[in-house]
Amino acid sequence: MIYAGIDAGSRMIKAVLFDAERRQIMASGIMDQGVQQDELAQRLFEKLLRDHRLERRAVSGIVATGYGRHSVSFADTAVTEITCHAAGVRHHLPGARTITDIGGQDSKLMRLDAKGGVQDFDMNDRCAAGTGCFLEVVARRLGLSLQELGELAGRSVKPAAISSMCVVFAETEIVGLLAAGAAAEDIAAGVQAAIARRIASMAGRTLDSPIIFTGGVALVPGMRAALQTALAHPVVVAPEPQMTGALGAAILASRQ
Amino acid sequence: MRDAPRQITLEEWDARYAELSAAGMQEPAYGGPLRRHVGEGDLRLLKLRYDNSAAALRLWNFLLTEEDRLHQARAEGGKIVGAMKDLGTVPVLAYSLPGVTAFYPDGAWWIPCIMEDSTGLLPIADSLGIDESFCPVRAMLGAFVTGGHFPRPDLLTCSVGATCDDFSAIAQRLDGMGYPILWWEIPSRRHPDPDEPKVRLPGGFLAPETQVGFVRAELERLRKALEELAGRRLTDDALSAGIRAANRVRRSLSQLRRLTYAAEICPLPALEMLVAEMLAIHFCSDRAEARVVLDQLLREVRERVQARKGLLPKAAARVFWVNPVADLRVMTLLEECGGRICGTDYLFCHALDRIPENLPPMEALARMALADPMVGPAADRAKRICRDILAFHAEALVISRIPGASHCAMEGEVIRDWVRSKVGLPVIEIEVPPLSDSYHSTLRTRLEALVEAVKERRKP
Repeated sequence: MIYAGIDAGSRMIKAVLFDAERRQIMASGIMDQGVQQDELAQRLFEKLLRDHRLERRAVSGIVATGYGRHSVSFADTAVTEITCHAAGVRHHLPGARTITDIGGQDSKLMRLDAKGGVQDFDMNDRCAAGTGCFLEVVARRLGLSLQELGELAGRSVKPAAISSMCVVFAETEIVGLLAAGAAAEDIAAGVQAAIARRIASMAGRTLDSPIIFTGGVALVPGMRAALQTALAHPVVVAPEPQMTGALGAAILASRQ
Repeated sequence: MRDAPRQITLEEWDARYAELSAAGMQEPAYGGPLRRHVGEGDLRLLKLRYDNSAAALRLWNFLLTEEDRLHQARAEGGKIVGAMKDLGTVPVLAYSLPGVTAFYPDGAWWIPCIMEDSTGLLPIADSLGIDESFCPVRAMLGAFVTGGHFPRPDLLTCSVGATCDDFSAIAQRLDGMGYPILWWEIPSRRHPDPDEPKVRLPGGFLAPETQVGFVRAELERLRKALEELAGRRLTDDALSAGIRAANRVRRSLSQLRRLTYAAEICPLPALEMLVAEMLAIHFCSDRAEARVVLDQLLREVRERVQARKGLLPKAAARVFWVNPVADLRVMTLLEECGGRICGTDYLFCHALDRIPENLPPMEALARMALADPMVGPAADRAKRICRDILAFHAEALVISRIPGASHCAMEGEVIRDWVRSKVGLPVIEIEVPPLSDSYHSTLRTRLEALVEAVKERRKP
């Protein structure tokens, strides 16, 4: 039987079709988020069905997740991204004990129990300093894409010291650093380190390994290493990290 | 219990009120339909959901007419005492004297929420240099300046010492504006040294005997000031009678909490329970009526529990809640997310404990004041929370931070770590500003995720 998960995130909508018998992803898709969230999610879902020559009735259940989960009218139910990320990570990496999810507008840290259920979580959705938004602001300032920003950071030998407290002030700092002749790669690496420190501060003192990195920011080159340094624990990027929430949603749909 | 329990909107309450009135509902003088308070400026009521019982209506009417009672007390020549930063001690002293009414000016922190900022209390506080980096209690400054909410008290008291820094700053600003305050010191409760004479306080904490003696002396100063205000002596007998009367309120509340939080099916919404619990510290300016209101609620809850009727699904996640919220809607949000309240620490849980009746009354009050979890180490408060979590079989903990309130800056982390390590429950910390509308979707995500975590943990 086929189940669908729709992750209506703040920046992107992700969808996954999951084959419950084979326990594998059949198809996945992604598109930009917009104002008409329900319509966009519907369009993405229908495209996936079309591409795989499936009828709507072939899908036995749909779970929506993400900040726009309650806007997805065609879903059977909505589940938070925290629970869905746990389910998605558990599918790929059953021994995971900690998940850090950095998205466009928020970041989360989830602690899992031995069964893979969410034991506890922390969440930052009020400050852009620990989110992908920080990277976007800096990439824009440097005239680069996120991918290019990450690659640039990889060339840094001396990351710049950048405040992790506020994106607005950090942008001012960056202007100052550029004016003072700081290298763009050092600034890029400094920003990655600042985001990672913010996550480490949310994580607190106790963390269990392995730590799995999910969310769109996990795809940015250099972020995993920055996070590993800040957390002082090995960090593993989840397979298709952007799709983890949607995959978890599809898996939870199969259990309902 | 005439009808099935339900949570209803203010609009639905209009019809419900007519129905209850037609059925012969007896109301006190301050009764009437809830909607009338909207006309008086309490706009937030339009967005809340209420329990549909006559007992809940009485509770709300009692809460929302406190200012009327204070003005009436003034008109009748009574003396009014504003007991600031006082979680249940000075009102017991004040109510032991005839013709004295105590109230809790700090309660003005709810006004901007209930009135949706329409009174402009916070901008007044801003203009006085007490901006949003301070606790929402700063709304109290605006209430004093406008004089539109409560009459100017004849005596203002405020505890200082082991209290929040920002509250002290707010109160000092008030003092500097020409509202003289009788300060009394509450020391930071410490654990007694091994050889030091010690006293067991209500609630179980230990304190050095010298600290209890110090607080007793401070309370004696207050007693003298109250006697001067009332123009008569406050005898030990009168104070003992006052303590017994306060304990009757506390007893009713304890029963209400036990019944509601332990019930298999939640018999009373979190919002009404929050309002009811607040009566423990200030009685809504009428101690006798506070007891009547609580007893009516207690009867309603008892009938619902016996009839196995409630408001929320039996499977609702049992959540222990720490600190009161400034925006009342958040309590209902928890229920919408699949949770129910099973235990609380709204900063004044010691005021729910009985004041010892077998001790000299001033000694009993001194012990009670020092039992305040907020004046001791955060770990003490955390231990009490863990104990109550176990007693009420809570499955998760929500720590609601109060923006700008300095006593919460690190305390949340201490409580969270204790509960995680000692009881092993999922814990979330949230921050609730006075008007949290724009923040509801993220609050919802946190609360829904917490409920999901609880339900996942229930699976074998």
